[in-house]
Amino acid sequence: MSLGAWFKERVPIDPGQLREMTNEPVPNHIKAWWWCLGGTPAYLFVVQIVTGILLAFYYEASPVTAYESVRYITDEAAFGWFLRGLHKWGATLMIAAVVLHQMRVYFTGAYRRPRELNWMIGMVLLVCTLMIGFTGYSLVYEQLSFWGATVGANIADSVPVVGGFSKELLLGGETYNDRTLSRFFMLHAAVLPGIMILLLIVHVTLIRLHGVTEFEFEKKKGAATDAEKPRFFNFFPDHAMTELIVGLVLMILLATLATALPATMGPKADPLITPEVIKPEWFFYVAFRWLKLMSATAAVLSMGFVFFLMFVWPFFDGWIRKRWPASEFSVWAGIFGVLAIVGLTVWEAAVAH
Amino acid sequence: MATQEPVPESESAGELDRRRFLAGGTTVAMAGGLAVAYGTCGAMGGRFLYPARPAARRWQFLARVDALADGQAMTWKAPTGDPIVIARRGTSGEAEDFVALSSTCPHLGCQVHWEGHRNRFFCPCHNGVFDPAGVATAGPPAQAGQALMRFPLRRVGPLLFIEVTLESLGSEA
Repeated sequence: MSLGAWFKERVPIDPGQLREMTNEPVPNHIKAWWWCLGGTPAYLFVVQIVTGILLAFYYEASPVTAYESVRYITDEAAFGWFLRGLHKWGATLMIAAVVLHQMRVYFTGAYRRPRELNWMIGMVLLVCTLMIGFTGYSLVYEQLSFWGATVGANIADSVPVVGGFSKELLLGGETYNDRTLSRFFMLHAAVLPGIMILLLIVHVTLIRLHGVTEFEFEKKKGAATDAEKPRFFNFFPDHAMTELIVGLVLMILLATLATALPATMGPKADPLITPEVIKPEWFFYVAFRWLKLMSATAAVLSMGFVFFLMFVWPFFDGWIRKRWPASEFSVWAGIFGVLAIVGLTVWEAAVAH
Repeated sequence: MATQEPVPESESAGELDRRRFLAGGTTVAMAGGLAVAYGTCGAMGGRFLYPARPAARRWQFLARVDALADGQAMTWKAPTGDPIVIARRGTSGEAEDFVALSSTCPHLGCQVHWEGHRNRFFCPCHNGVFDPAGVATAGPPAQAGQALMRFPLRRVGPLLFIEVTLESLGSEA
């Protein structure tokens, strides 16, 4: 019996069938590079899992040991500085990629019926990504990590009714204590990635079931041109090859960033002194600035409302388009939203306080 | 047993109803039992994750009441290492004369620091500003009408006591 036949008897799948199942026709416009943005965060997510597992071999989640273990990874473990750099820059690029992917989906209207549920799953993935960024940043246990975690927990505390409960659940006590870091570590390395993997499976499955959104571009060329050109190309090998190139470029970019701008360490956390200049990671600048403009409860409620609005946007947008079919409201709302976020981020980045 | 025999036409409808009822009832009972069992496990897991007890607090001796004159202030180091400013603003001899200001910002929990040249406490996190009595004058705490937290004080005879938390972070060690 040949090896191939032996294997096929044990894994009874016909390669042809497998090919047919996975080889989805891809619309031609996907050949444009900005349509690879959905695959980008997925690729970076895998990088984060691999580098994260390696870092977890040395990391010790307790206030006494955390800082020293990160220092050990950075200064002593072989290639530790590089892996930590990859993990840090992978996180940065992943958040940027998620935001770009979401903007592409939003401005091309790809969230519209029947893809509303996938948009909502995407929103949950966005929240998970931000939370995994927040908890990961806290693990280093440097000054900014510690105060970032304290501020984050107290933001949860500002939510009416459930605030105090969620803060205590997050910190494992009324304030940041000896048991806090291990909670952050479990959320960062087990709970959130687990949720994200499950949601990603549903996310991608729904994309495959619906097919990628097809576009009716303005028919300047006329129907004849449409008939001449094939409207689809094969997932294998064409699109897989594109994703491979994206992965390669990302790896080069990540390696360059991790080497040229390696992950550093600030002073160790001191629960008694808040640094004079304190900033969260760049992706929380917008929220940090917003919190300076009004009372904590008002800021938390308004940010919660914005997230809720984004979450149900496909339905809100559907209702608007039903009433005013020619409305470009979603585009203008999107432009306003992007400008507001960029504006607040730049404002926070430009000043010390 | 009678169920082995072919059921007469007249009885079959009742028999079927009874079977369907029993089958349905058993399914509901099993599903309900599972739901209760998993629900209990879930509740236990949730309770496990929720902190077991509130942070330990204790009344600590602070100073003799006559150690501070009206208008004077002193810094007292709490068991956790926190420096606490104690000021006396009154001559009644009661605990109400004294103020023990916490340096924790009521906004989002950062540590404020004293800016002598501006005669104010400043919180670097979100630009909260407090006057020497701890009342917020600018920034988000002022918009929410907050003030720096005060530690509870109590007088027992000539002695002044303060209620503070005893737990400190591992970094203290």
